[in-house]
Amino acid sequence: MALNRRSFLLGLPLVAGGLGCSSGSGTAVTHARSPGRLASAVSPGKPAVLVCMPDTKQTREVWSGLKDELAGHFTLIAVDVDGDRGGDVLARAMAELHPVCVVLMNNPTVFAYARYQATAGLAAYPPAIVVMTSFLDRRPTAIAGATGISYEVPLITVVTNLRKLMSSPVERVGVIRRMPLRSFVTHQAELARREQIGVIEQPVSLEPNAAELKYALREVKQHCDAIWVLNDDRLLSERLIADGWLPGLNERPYKPAIVGAASLVSPGQSFGTFAVLPDHGALGVQTANRIFDLADQNFKLTDHDEVDSPLSTTTTVDLVQARARFALRQDALEQVDHILE
Amino acid sequence: MSGPSRKLLVFLHVALKQRAFESELQAALPGLEVRAVGRLGDFERGLEDGQDGVLTLPDLLASHGLAGKLQGMRGGSPEERYSLVGAGAVPDPARVAAVGALDLLGRDGTNAFVYALLGAKPKVERVTKFEDLLPLIQMQKVDAILLPTRLLADLQSASRLTLNQRELAKLVKLPAVASAGAGGSDVLAAVARLPAKVSRTLGVDEWR
Repeated sequence: MALNRRSFLLGLPLVAGGLGCSSGSGTAVTHARSPGRLASAVSPGKPAVLVCMPDTKQTREVWSGLKDELAGHFTLIAVDVDGDRGGDVLARAMAELHPVCVVLMNNPTVFAYARYQATAGLAAYPPAIVVMTSFLDRRPTAIAGATGISYEVPLITVVTNLRKLMSSPVERVGVIRRMPLRSFVTHQAELARREQIGVIEQPVSLEPNAAELKYALREVKQHCDAIWVLNDDRLLSERLIADGWLPGLNERPYKPAIVGAASLVSPGQSFGTFAVLPDHGALGVQTANRIFDLADQNFKLTDHDEVDSPLSTTTTVDLVQARARFALRQDALEQVDHILE
Repeated sequence: MSGPSRKLLVFLHVALKQRAFESELQAALPGLEVRAVGRLGDFERGLEDGQDGVLTLPDLLASHGLAGKLQGMRGGSPEERYSLVGAGAVPDPARVAAVGALDLLGRDGTNAFVYALLGAKPKVERVTKFEDLLPLIQMQKVDAILLPTRLLADLQSASRLTLNQRELAKLVKLPAVASAGAGGSDVLAAVARLPAKVSRTLGVDEWR
C-alpha cells in the first residue's frame, strides 16, 4: 500500500495499453506510429487540444471526462511525456498538432512542458491548464501562459461532506502543518469561515520526527472536533505514519481523521476515517469547461483565469473505525461513495 | 416477468450518492437490472449498450428519439418548479452573471435549458452531481444556482450559509420512463409499482 501520494504524483504506469479512444468506445487504441501517444479522439476540422499525461487509473478518468465534453468540438490527443523520450514526444506533438490549448496532468508533466518551453524559444505558446499537481494555489510561474485546477479538496468542502456524515457537531478542525504550507492553510481557513468552520493550526518543524508529530497530535486533538491531514509528503513518510500518526490517532480522545489520499483509508490500519478526494471524471469535465471558457476568449488568458478548486469529490469511509469510535448520522452511508469494511 | 432481467437505465440527479440511489432503486425493482448514472456520457454509453427502459427527464428522452410512456406526477401535475438560489440577497434572474446548474443535457442543451428558465443568458457552470452545486456558492464561483425547488431543503441542510431563493415561473417536466427495447413494457409495469418512498426520491408521488 502506498503510504503517501508521491508515487501517484510521479505517475505509476498501469499494465494495459492505452485509453478509450473515440466517443462511445470503451476500447483502447494506440497509434504505433506515434511513440508516446496514448489515445486520441479526432474531430476532423476541429482545433486540437493536447493532453500530456501518464497512464494511470486516475488520469484515465480525467481523460474520460475531458473526452465526453470536448469530443466533436475539439480533436483530443493524449501523450505520455514522462521518461527519457518525453521531450521528443512533446516537441513532436506540439509541432504536428499546433494545439490551441494544452492540458498538463501531474508534476513531471509540468516539468517536461517547462523544459520544452525553455528550449523551443517560441514567441508564444498556447494556454496550458495544469491539473493533478501538488498544492497548486496560484497560476504556475514555471511555464508561460498557464492556469489550472488545484488537486487539493478545499477544507470548506471537506468539512461540508463530514458534517453530512457525523451526528456530532463539527465546528473546529485541527491541522498539523509545516511552515511551507502556512499560507495554504491560512487561505483554506479563510474560506472555511464562510461555513462557520474554525481551524486550529498546530505547527511542526520542517523535518519533524515521530515524537514531535505525536505531541502535535495530542495537543491539537484537545481543541478540535476532527483532524484534517494535509497531503504533505514530508509528514506522510512511512516512519511518521507508523510511529507518529497511528499511535496519536489511535489513542483517546478519538477524533475523525480526514485524509486526501485513498491509500490512507484502510480498515486494517485505522489512519484515515474518511477520505475526500477529487472526483476524477468530474475533474475532466471541469477542465473541459475551462477549455470552453478559453475558447470564448480566443484562447487568451486573462487576469480572471485564476486557479480553481476542484468542485466535485468522492468520499470513502473506513466503516469499521467510524462505527467503533464515532456516531454517524442515520443516512450517512447514502452520502458516501465508497465504504470500506 | 420471465426470461433475462430487463434493463433499466436511470439518469437523474438526486440528493444522495449515485451508489446509494442505484442500490435503493435496485432493491425496489428486483426484477430489473438497474443502472443509475450521473453523467451524460455514461448515459449515452448506457444507451449504446442496449436498454429495455430509460428513466430520465422528458427533454433528454426526446433528444435521443425516445418518448416517455410513463410520466411522473406530483400533486396531480406532470411538472415542477425550479428555483434560483443564492447566498445573501434573493437572486434576480435578469441580473445574475453566472449560474450553476446540473448537467442533464450537455453543454449546449443545459445552457439552453437555463436560458429558457431565466429568460436571460448568464454564464452557466455545469456540475455533474447535486452535491457539487453548493461548492459553487461556497467558493463564490457563481451568483446563484438553479435546481428543483424540492431539493432546496437538502441543499440548505448541508450548509450554514443563508440561502435565498426565487422560484421561477416556467415549469419543468418531472421524470418519465421510455420503452427502449423488447422488455420495455415490463420495465414500465415495474416502475409504475415503485414504492412511494422511492418515487419521492425522484420528486414523484404517482406514475401515469
